[in-house]
Amino acid sequence: MKSKSLVFSGAAVLFLAAAIPCYAGKIVVEGSTTVLPIAQRAAEVFMNNNSQAEISVRGGGSGVGIASLLAGTCDIADSSRPIKEKELEDAVSRGKDPKANVIAMDGIAVIVHSSNSVKALTKKQLKDIYTGKISSWQAVGGGSEQIVVVSRDSSSGTFEAFGELALDKEKVRQDALMEASNQAVASVVAKTPGAIGYVGIGYIGESVKALELNNVYPSKETVLRNRYPLSRPLFMYTNGKPSGDCKAFIDFIQSKEGQALVEKEGYVPLG
Amino acid sequence: MKKRYLLLMAAALFVMASSLNSYAGEINILLDKLVDKGVLTPGEAQQIAAETKEDVRKEIAAGKSDTLPKWLQNTKLKGDFRLRYQLDHAKAANNATSNRQRGRIRMRLGVESKVNEKLLVAVGMATGLNEYTTSNKDSIRSTNQSSGSSWAKKPFNLDYAYAKYTPMPGFAVIGGKMLLKDAIWEPGDLMWDTDITPEGVALDISKNINADTSVFLKTGVFFLEEVSASNDDPYSMHIQPGMDIKINDALSLRASVAGDYFSVRGFTLEGSSVSNTGSYKSGDNSYAVPMANYTNIMPALELKIADPFKAFNLNVPQLKLFGEYVRNIADIDPYTGKSGYMLGFNLGYDKLVKFGDWTLKYNYARLEKNAVLDILPDSDRYEGKTNIRAHELALDFGLGENTWLGLDIYRAQLLTHPHAPSTVVQVDWNMKF
Repeated sequence: MKSKSLVFSGAAVLFLAAAIPCYAGKIVVEGSTTVLPIAQRAAEVFMNNNSQAEISVRGGGSGVGIASLLAGTCDIADSSRPIKEKELEDAVSRGKDPKANVIAMDGIAVIVHSSNSVKALTKKQLKDIYTGKISSWQAVGGGSEQIVVVSRDSSSGTFEAFGELALDKEKVRQDALMEASNQAVASVVAKTPGAIGYVGIGYIGESVKALELNNVYPSKETVLRNRYPLSRPLFMYTNGKPSGDCKAFIDFIQSKEGQALVEKEGYVPLG
Repeated sequence: MKKRYLLLMAAALFVMASSLNSYAGEINILLDKLVDKGVLTPGEAQQIAAETKEDVRKEIAAGKSDTLPKWLQNTKLKGDFRLRYQLDHAKAANNATSNRQRGRIRMRLGVESKVNEKLLVAVGMATGLNEYTTSNKDSIRSTNQSSGSSWAKKPFNLDYAYAKYTPMPGFAVIGGKMLLKDAIWEPGDLMWDTDITPEGVALDISKNINADTSVFLKTGVFFLEEVSASNDDPYSMHIQPGMDIKINDALSLRASVAGDYFSVRGFTLEGSSVSNTGSYKSGDNSYAVPMANYTNIMPALELKIADPFKAFNLNVPQLKLFGEYVRNIADIDPYTGKSGYMLGFNLGYDKLVKFGDWTLKYNYARLEKNAVLDILPDSDRYEGKTNIRAHELALDFGLGENTWLGLDIYRAQLLTHPHAPSTVVQVDWNMKF
């Protein structure tokens, strides 16, 4: 039995050794799905500009990224929220020093059909509309038509951000139309008189009307100054001040060229 | 002196925590003004705001870290208590019926402590009997303790004690008397009673292939008995490769094939429900000695569907459908069955965390006489015997944070004549902490 079990365990260890990835010599970026498109696009361009650079980018969520950073299995943790108190306590107990690097701002605009007479909503009204407590525009000072709720599909970072910032993590009503892209949401809202939707701030166009929220209009300025309620900074966390390849990569994202990529992906550049 | 220091630290933390919001507000106003005057760009202001707030929070976290001893920060205490009323209704071969009513409790208390970043040690105690008795045939793997015996003190035994070494993410070595989930994955409990805590060494390995697919391997060698007069003690080996696939946002799949080998031929096994083919120990028919080594192959599948009734505007968070099949390929008694299967579903909430959360569970199990060793199956399903078929229907309803009511009904009978059907009804009040 002894020899059998030794052979068995040895085989499993060999299997594992072959399966574990090697991190040496490259930057591993992991975390928020909201930050993922920026990180992926920036990594592509950065690697094109620097043939020696090797950057591996993966999602998983902000919590996964920060946990990996604290465990030492990634170099940069993408996060769409500040590090939590528990995570900080964990970091302190492990002797780690997570450092927030702001790389972009995220702002979500609430849009309606251009013929809609409603110009502004409160955050509470918006939540009630999306969770199904309000179903008619009349309840928020508009016409008598029914509200057609349009949302991003649940795999998108915008959906996740909207759920956190606007809905306090409550579920979107069951009859909402789920669209696969910001463009698709804008297009449905533009064609449907009773519709309401939400898109990244870069997708406000002439075919739809953006609403004020708590009396603040969604613009690059109000998002950048954190005045618009559905705005938040996006982070790349490093262990201590970024240095070496990590610093070069984060510096690139914060540069003019990197911020142009941020804007292209529908987020608000740092200005 | 120490007390005074702790009090001072606590007061300082309280003041810092309560003033953090107003402090952050003042920083924002100052940064706003600097942006207005063109001293800072809005981006620089965001960076400074983030850094300043986190520096303060880090100090608070460090303060907390300093006030608690290290071992306490690395130690977690957990437990649960269940109050149960159980009715066993059975019909014997001569059609005579019997009813047995029991008040039962289950108490489990566990401590786990991080020795360092990669090593965890856990120990758990639980109610239950550590010896097989003829009136409690399920006792060896059950954590239930029946009330009675003139209110005698009840045993509280070692349920698990293990060390788990995780040198890198996705690879863990577990040694000791471990939790079943660390060693084996099974969507239902056709073969393994979930209260079993195997003893030996196990490896738990997993690897992400891409964002939607990962593979895992569970394997281990376990001691079954220690026979002082034998050089070749009973043991078992387990190997289980499997895969997790996220098909889309609403649909995910877990599949595995397990292989188990039990070297048990000729040995008396504690906790046998005497339903396998076996030779009886002379003078004591409560033990059966297996006539062969058992080799089980068990494929299992679990399909998870999120929001399954979305189309009907019904808010049901999750539906799990599962199926498992087991076959013993050992050469034993050609006249009896050696296979079994279970089909079932779990509907409702994954965890019951508040009032009104609920879970409905149903499964149908069929387990032929020599399909699996009779020291393994769920002890509530026909006293853990093989040669049975059984329905189980269970409903759990959340009463509040960490507490819920449960109703579990088993309807089972033997596959062979006389069928001797039995019904077990369990009404539970669960609480965990």
